Amino acid sequence: MAHSHEPTCKDVMNHICDNLGEDLDSPKCTEIKNHLEHCDKCQKYYQSIKITIQSYKTYQVKITDDVHRSLMDFLNLDDCEE
Amino acid sequence: MEEKELIKKAQEGDRNALAKLVKQYEQTVYNFAFKICRDKERAEHTMQETFLSMVKSIKQFSGKSKLSTWLYTVVSNHCLMMARSNKKHLHASIDDEDSLIDEKNITDWNISPQRIAENDELKDILNEAINKLPPDYRIVFMLRDIQGFSTEETGKAINLSVPAVKSRLHRARAFLRNELNNTFSYGT
Repeated sequence: MAHSHEPTCKDVMNHICDNLGEDLDSPKCTEIKNHLEHCDKCQKYYQSIKITIQSYKTYQVKITDDVHRSLMDFLNLDDCEE
Repeated sequence: MEEKELIKKAQEGDRNALAKLVKQYEQTVYNFAFKICRDKERAEHTMQETFLSMVKSIKQFSGKSKLSTWLYTVVSNHCLMMARSNKKHLHASIDDEDSLIDEKNITDWNISPQRIAENDELKDILNEAINKLPPDYRIVFMLRDIQGFSTEETGKAINLSVPAVKSRLHRARAFLRNELNNTFSYGT
């Protein structure tokens, strides 16, 4: 954060979208962290972004046996199946 | 057998080792391709092209990066090519970064990601939301947030500058969160 004034909720929410997963211990993040610790609204926003990411991470589309066989066939590796 | 050993054997022409490498990564490559292509046939085709690239160039693979990183780079670019050739689908406009965060629209999310991923109705909502996101943004979100690439690695994989990766990631996160907010907020 380049500004000297205290961050607003909007600044903090923008920062969450920009920097979630990055180095939140850097000095420039101190004001943001302080705000986040004491602001209910920003904590809710932070939590919702984390759940969004985690939901897509957890949701897996499984490959079917047919798709697997067709891949091995396409690559001419179908005779290498154990 | 360790991956390094499998790669070495595959480079020496061992087809069984090559098949083992394919099996090791087919699930993750398919899952990634499906989430970008949003269509089973296109995901299958993209996965096949990705592994064909691997089979053709395994001898040139230097091992400087992980094989998984290399595969995600290849599958990402195949997905982008596929998406650019299929412009029929209309995506949401997310050019206005400022309007993506609405302070009046902040609610408690009292739901676990595991529950979302196990419930078909909720999975449809995840699908609908990511489907609206333009593919260029989906790729960045997938590489950076789902596969755990760094910002620099993401940029390198799809030939984007670090500021461009950051901007697309910012918009993708805020957009998806907004799309899911009505369903996942407390009390629904």
